[in-house]
Amino acid sequence: MSIVEFENVTRIYTSGEHEQKALDNVSFTLDEGKFVVILGPSGAGKSTLLNMLGGLDSPNEGTITVNDRDISTLSDNELADYRAATVGFVFQFYNLIPTLTVYENVELVSQIAPDALDAKQMIAEVGLTDHLHNFPAELSGGEQQRISIARALAKNPKILLCDEPTGALDSETGVMVLKLLLSMAKNYGKTIVIVTHNQSIAKMADTVIRVKNGKIREIIEQDNPLSADEVEW
Amino acid sequence: MLTRKLFRTAWSYKAQFISMIIMITLGMGMFLGFNMEWKTIEVDTGNFFEQTNYADYRLYSEKGFTKDDIKKISSIKGIDAATRYLSVNLDIKDEKNKSLALDVSENYKVSTFTVMDGEAYDKKGDGFWLSDKFAAANKMKIGDKLTLEFQGTEIKGKIVGLIKAGEHMICVADKNQMMPDYNTFGYAYISPEKLKTVLKDKIKNDFKKELKKSRVPEEFIDEKLTELFITDEMLTEAETKAYAQINLISDMEKKALEKAVKKKLGRTIMVTSKDDHVVYKESNGEAEEGKTMGSVLPVLFLAIAILTMVTTMHRIATKEKTQIGTLKALGFKNRRILRHYTSYGLFIGIVGTAFGIALGYAVCKAIMSEGGMMGTYFDMPDWSAAIPEFCYPVMAATVALLTLISYLSVRQQLKGTAADALRPYSPKKMRKIFLERFRFWDKLHFGTKWNIRDLSRHKSRSAMTLFGIVGCMVLMVGGLGMRDTMAGFLDLLDHDISNYTTKVNLVDDADLKKSKELYDELGGDWESLSGISLDGDTVTLDIIHNPDNMLNVIDEDNNRIKLSDEGVYLCLRLSDKAEIGDKIEFSPYGSKKTYKAKVLGYNRSIMTESVTMTDTLAEKLGVDYSISSIYTDKKASNIKSNDLISGKQDKTQFMETFNSFVEIMDGMVIILVIAAVILGIVVLYNLGIMSYVERSRELATLKVLGFRNRTIGKLLISQNIWLTFVGVIIGLPAGVGVLQWLLTALAGEYEMKLMLGALTYSVSILLTFGVSLLVGLMVARKNKKIDMVEALKGAE
Repeated sequence: MSIVEFENVTRIYTSGEHEQKALDNVSFTLDEGKFVVILGPSGAGKSTLLNMLGGLDSPNEGTITVNDRDISTLSDNELADYRAATVGFVFQFYNLIPTLTVYENVELVSQIAPDALDAKQMIAEVGLTDHLHNFPAELSGGEQQRISIARALAKNPKILLCDEPTGALDSETGVMVLKLLLSMAKNYGKTIVIVTHNQSIAKMADTVIRVKNGKIREIIEQDNPLSADEVEW
Repeated sequence: MLTRKLFRTAWSYKAQFISMIIMITLGMGMFLGFNMEWKTIEVDTGNFFEQTNYADYRLYSEKGFTKDDIKKISSIKGIDAATRYLSVNLDIKDEKNKSLALDVSENYKVSTFTVMDGEAYDKKGDGFWLSDKFAAANKMKIGDKLTLEFQGTEIKGKIVGLIKAGEHMICVADKNQMMPDYNTFGYAYISPEKLKTVLKDKIKNDFKKELKKSRVPEEFIDEKLTELFITDEMLTEAETKAYAQINLISDMEKKALEKAVKKKLGRTIMVTSKDDHVVYKESNGEAEEGKTMGSVLPVLFLAIAILTMVTTMHRIATKEKTQIGTLKALGFKNRRILRHYTSYGLFIGIVGTAFGIALGYAVCKAIMSEGGMMGTYFDMPDWSAAIPEFCYPVMAATVALLTLISYLSVRQQLKGTAADALRPYSPKKMRKIFLERFRFWDKLHFGTKWNIRDLSRHKSRSAMTLFGIVGCMVLMVGGLGMRDTMAGFLDLLDHDISNYTTKVNLVDDADLKKSKELYDELGGDWESLSGISLDGDTVTLDIIHNPDNMLNVIDEDNNRIKLSDEGVYLCLRLSDKAEIGDKIEFSPYGSKKTYKAKVLGYNRSIMTESVTMTDTLAEKLGVDYSISSIYTDKKASNIKSNDLISGKQDKTQFMETFNSFVEIMDGMVIILVIAAVILGIVVLYNLGIMSYVERSRELATLKVLGFRNRTIGKLLISQNIWLTFVGVIIGLPAGVGVLQWLLTALAGEYEMKLMLGALTYSVSILLTFGVSLLVGLMVARKNKKIDMVEALKGAE
C-alpha cells in the first residue's frame, strides 16, 4: 500500500532573475514500512524532495499525497500539524535545542504530537539513559544523533525523514547510528526515507531513488537488501 | 573597496544600525536639549540683564532716600552706577483685576528697559512706556490713554513706547505668584519728571481732602488755592518718600557694601543682592533646576544608548566573524580589518551625534523660545540656543567611546589564526543554572525552561534589555511623578494652606491700627511679611494671626500645624540652621535690635525662605510689624478699596497663575515620556531581534518539529514579558528614588513632597508593558517568515 505519492511535482527557486529548477516534474510512490534511499550528488534536488515530503516546502506545481492527504496546498498551521503528527526528522547536524537537556529535547515533542511515546523509554532504547540530564553540547556527535533519532521516533510518526544522518559522523559511529536507526524503524514499523550521497547506504534499502538535476533517473526496487554488517563501508 | 563594504554591511544590518543611530540620536538629543535649555536661560537672561542694566543690589528704606543720600551712595568706591528707584503695584482705573508695576529710575543707567516699539526713553517724557506683552494681552497700543490709581490720585498719560525690562523679566506681582499672567498684571515705566507731576497732584489732592474735612466750602477749593500752598520742601519730601529704593550696579561684596552704606549714611539700611530679587532668583533657580534635571534623566538616556551599543556591536562583530576570517585568510592585515570594522562605530557615532545635535536644538527651542514653553515665563527680546561647554567633550567622548566599543569587539574576533577566525562564533556552553537544583524546576513548561536558560546563557543581552526597561520605567515614573508632585503641591496650596476667598494686600508699612480696624471689618486671618537677617542671610519673617484657618502652615508630612506661641517654626530649607529646641537669633532689617526664639518645628513653605511665628509671640518679643495681607472669605467685589489696600487677589485667579507653570511642566513631561517610549521600543526591538537571530536555528527546529507559529511567538513574547516584569519591579522604586533625589536637589527652589498618583503608576506600568508587548509582537511576526530549510543548514 502506498503511503507517499508525488505527482508531477516541480519546484523552482528564484533568486533575482536567476531561476533554478530544483525538482522538475517528479512523480513516484513509496510503500508503507519500506526503507527508501534517495541517492544523488550535491545539488541534485534530493534535499528539496525530502523538504517537500516533510512539509517544510511546497511545490510550485503538482501534488504530494501523504497518507491519503494532499499536503501541497496546506496552510502554515495545517503544515505544522502535519509535521507534528506524521513525520519525524533526523538531520545531519542533529538540530537539538542547546538550552534543553537530553530528556527535555525528547520530551518536548509530547507537547505537539498527538500519539507521542514515552521520552524516557525512547532515550533508553537509544542507550543514553545515563545522559538524561546532560545538555547536547556535553555529548559526542554520535550520541547527539542518537538523541535526535529518539526525538524523531518519540513523535510516533508515520514516516521518518533523514537528511544525511551519518554525514557529520566518522564511519564507525555512522554505521552504529545507522544500525540503530534501521532497527528502531523496523521495530516500530515506520517508513524511513534517507537522503544521502553515500552509495553504501543505498545497498541496504528496499527502494533506491536516484536523482540528478532535479529529475528522477531511476527507481530501483531491491528484493534482497544487504544488512549493515554485510555492507562494505 | 572596504568603504563600499561598510555601507553594504550597514545595509544588511539595517535594523541594528538604524536602531543604534536612533538611540545615539535620542540619547544625545535629550542630553543636549535639556542641558542647552539651562545654558540658554543663563546666557539669554544674562545678556538681557546686562542690556537693561539690571541692578546688582537694592537698598530699601521705609523713610525713603534723599537726593543727598543718593549722592553719598554714588560716591562709594566700587559702585559703578546708582539710582533712586520706585516700583509700586497700581490698579488700572476702571479695569477689574488689572494692575501694573509702575517703575521710575531717576538715573537712566541702572534698571532700564529696551524699547521694542515707539519712542525712546526721555527722562522728561510725559507718557507711559508699557510692557509690550501686557499691551498685547490687553489689546493696547501706542497712543492709547492709560490711567492708574495711585493712593487716591490718578496718573494719566498716553502709551508712548512698548518695552521689555530686565527688572520685570519674570513679571509676577509678588513672590508668591509663580507664573506671569499678562492679562492681569504687567509693568510700566514713567519718567522722574512725570513722577514729580504726579506727586504734586497727590499733595494737592490730599490738601483738598484736608480742606474739605476742615469744612472749607467747596467753592473755595480750586487749583489756584492748592497751588499756593505747595512748597518745594513738600515736593522734595514726597519725592524722598516715594523713592524707597536705591538700585545700584557694583561688584562689591554684600558685607562690604553694607558697611560702606552704613558709614556714608550713618544708619543701617536693608541691602539685598540680586540673588534675593524675585526675577534674578527665579531665572537663576530655573537654570539651576535645569542643571539638576539635566544631570540625571538625560544622562540616563545617553548611558542606555551607549550600553546598548556595546551589546549590539559585540553581536555584529561575532556575526561578522567568518567575514573577518575570510578577509584575514585573503591576506588583509589585522590593522586594516580593525580599521574597517572600527569605522562602523565611528560612522554610527558621527551620524547619531549629528542627528542628536539637531534633536537637542529642537528640544531646547521647544522649551526656550518666544513661542516655546518658557515663552510666557521669561519676557525678553532675544532667544538663542547655547550649548554648555562641557557638552563638546561629552560629544567627542561619545563618538570616541562608540569607536572604541567597535574596536574592542572586533579585536576580540581577530585573536588567533585566520582559521580560528573562520570558524563560526559559538556561544558559551550551556551549564545547569542555579534554579535547576530545586524540585519545581522539573515541573516547569519546556518553554519556560528554554527561556530561563536562554536568559542565563546570554547574560549581557538580558541585562541590557532589563536595563532598557528599567530606564524606560525610571524616565516615566520620574517625569509623570514630577507632574503629580507639582499637582499635589498645588492641591495642597489650594486646599490645605489657603482656605480663603480673597487675599487683600495692604500698602507697604501700613499703619497697624488702621490695618487691624480693616481686619476686624473683613474677618479671617492676617499675615505680616518682612525681611530679617538670620546668620547673615536675608530671610522672611512671617507673622501669622490665623484664628479662622484661612491661611495655614503645614509640616513636612503636609499636616496642618497648630501654631504655638512658645516659639518659631523654620521652613524646611532653613532646617540646617537650627535643631528643634535650639534658639535662633535674628534681627529685622534697618533695626539694631536682635531677638531670640526657640525653634519648635519645621514647616513646608511655599516659595520664600521663612521663619514663622504667631502674632502673640511677636508682641511678646516686641517685634515691630505691619500687616502685609489679610485673608478673608469675602468676595473681592464686596471689599471697598481704600488707601490702605494696594490690591485684591482672588484665590482662583491666584491659582490660575500656576496653570502656565503646570503647562511647562506638562510639556517637559510629555517630551520625556515620548522619548522614554521611543527609547524603550528601540532598545527592546534591537535586543529582541538579536535574541531572535541568535535563536533562529532553534526556532526553525521547533517549527520543523511541528510547533505552530503562534506557540513559538508566545515563547518569544513571554521572554520579553518576564524581563519587563522584572524591569518594572526594579524600575518603579528606582524611578521613585530618582524623583526623590531630584526633589531633594531642587529643594532650594521649592519645598515639595514627593507624591505619586495611582495613574502614574498604572500609566508607567501599562506603557512599559505595552512597549514590551508591541516589540514582542513585532519580533514574533518575523518568526512566520523564518526559512526552516535555510536555518537548518550549516554546523552548530
